[in-house]
Amino acid sequence: MNVVIALTITGILNLFGSIFSYRKITPLLSIIGLTTAIVFNSMYWNTNQSFFNHMMVVDNYAVAFGTVCMVLAACLIIFYNRFMGDNDHHLPEVLSVIVLSVDGAIVMVSYTNLLMLFLGVEILSISFYILAGLKKKDLGSNEAAIKYFLMGAFSTGFLLLGITLIYGATASFDLSVISEYVKLNSTSTNYLLLSGVLLILVGLLFKVAAAPFHFWTPDVYQGAPTIITAFFATVGKIASFGAFYRLFQMCFSPIVNEWSGVIMVVAIITMFIGNITALQQKNLKRMFAYSSIAHAGYMLLALLSHDYLGGNAILFYSIAYGISSMSAFIIIHIIQTQTGTDEAMGFAGLVHKNKTLAMITAISMLSLSGIPLTAGFFGKFYLFSSAIESGYVLLVCLAVINSFIGIYYYFKPVIESYFKDSITDDVIKLKSVETILLIFLSIATILLGIFPGLVPAI
Amino acid sequence: MGNVSLIVLMACGIGFCGLAQLVSKLIAPSSKNLQKLQAYECGVPTIGASWIQFNVGYYLFALIFLVFDVELMFLFPWAVVNKEMGITAFIEIVVFIFILFLGLLYAWKKGALKWM
Repeated sequence: MNVVIALTITGILNLFGSIFSYRKITPLLSIIGLTTAIVFNSMYWNTNQSFFNHMMVVDNYAVAFGTVCMVLAACLIIFYNRFMGDNDHHLPEVLSVIVLSVDGAIVMVSYTNLLMLFLGVEILSISFYILAGLKKKDLGSNEAAIKYFLMGAFSTGFLLLGITLIYGATASFDLSVISEYVKLNSTSTNYLLLSGVLLILVGLLFKVAAAPFHFWTPDVYQGAPTIITAFFATVGKIASFGAFYRLFQMCFSPIVNEWSGVIMVVAIITMFIGNITALQQKNLKRMFAYSSIAHAGYMLLALLSHDYLGGNAILFYSIAYGISSMSAFIIIHIIQTQTGTDEAMGFAGLVHKNKTLAMITAISMLSLSGIPLTAGFFGKFYLFSSAIESGYVLLVCLAVINSFIGIYYYFKPVIESYFKDSITDDVIKLKSVETILLIFLSIATILLGIFPGLVPAI
Repeated sequence: MGNVSLIVLMACGIGFCGLAQLVSKLIAPSSKNLQKLQAYECGVPTIGASWIQFNVGYYLFALIFLVFDVELMFLFPWAVVNKEMGITAFIEIVVFIFILFLGLLYAWKKGALKWM
């Protein structure tokens, strides 16, 4: 299919940028490649085509999630010159790895075969291990890479064993065959199938960083270069949830009662651990790592909904969360390069240094905490209403309490930037393209908060 | 059906590993001498400790070797069905080898094939 081919060619072309000395144009090349892929992808809307001997089906769900991932990756590449100072001569390779990891994300949201799920997860994860260790001489970055690699490889083992057991029960990797089998045998308890479901659940919960499988997240998010952390927290999480929801909605919804208890407990633990631990963090990257754990907890609610509502809710939440966290991480990165600290006090007096940046910080924090008139509010609203429709009222009450806890720590940087005095009075200057991109992300956040209907139903 | 096969699978898995350990513990003759406890190094006597830093060049060669080793593994199934699949499969395998060739080209240009 054209999207995967376009992304692969872009990745390979980027790789050769460092050899045939066109490294200067590789960022432009990546943007063009990603734009082409987005155009190809949007042409598949409403077509529902199957590719590669029924290994992938590009339905509206795949098109929507794929577009979100590619747009976020393109936003990231615009900030290419901020990736890392000392490692600049590896720029073509870094861009190539980023583009190829998006390839993995596309496979993860459009698979119809468990082998393709495994392939997609691996393409994405292996790229992420490399990206986490980009700062070769930085101890934190090295730690992040090795920790992510060990944990990721371990969780992949669970995923593979789960796939094996499901193959043992249903004699097929194909999602449609598996879903037929599950539908026919939903009344009898089949422990082989259930063990497979449980192990796949463990593998995927690792990937979306839900408690109790979240221990790698803070260290990896803090150690990796900040721009790369933005990539992990947005594209990585959205693609993993895309894969997660697709599998459980398509195949295992007839036996929802068997695994809904696990998801409920995991969601509650994840929300509380994420939010309460984030309260105590001084380092902003670490705080956002815990907040991303909490967001994973909210997004797990969508898995429990019985009908198509869950898919729409998880898509809207992914867009809202992706846009806001992308701009939040980019701002943290800008502040970090300016002041040399990634703690909340780095934001002190931001409003005197750069008014636009302070405003964008406020908007993205409001959206992440779910205040009305921002995209984050409607994201939470759709998620919670889909869970209530399915009868999980208590769970939604706990989620609302957690949203209130979240407001406290999201407002720390906002308070710092508006009400504290800065140590230095340096004005932060941004390139015009960076300012335009950040303003574009903020406008998108507010626009989706006022007209949530802009996101089409899938 | 599923429950039984799961139990059988688990029992086989645990049993096989446990049995192999147990049998080797029981029937293997145990004679410990200095020669035997040394690290195996292609049959020649080892010199010094094995915890030394290796030249990174070994790893590069190992990686490149691995890529083409795996490529060969993919070529075998293609070769088996080549006659039935015809020209389509041939073009696909050429594309596959071409992409790997690009990888080799990259490694070559980056100087990974030069022994330091």
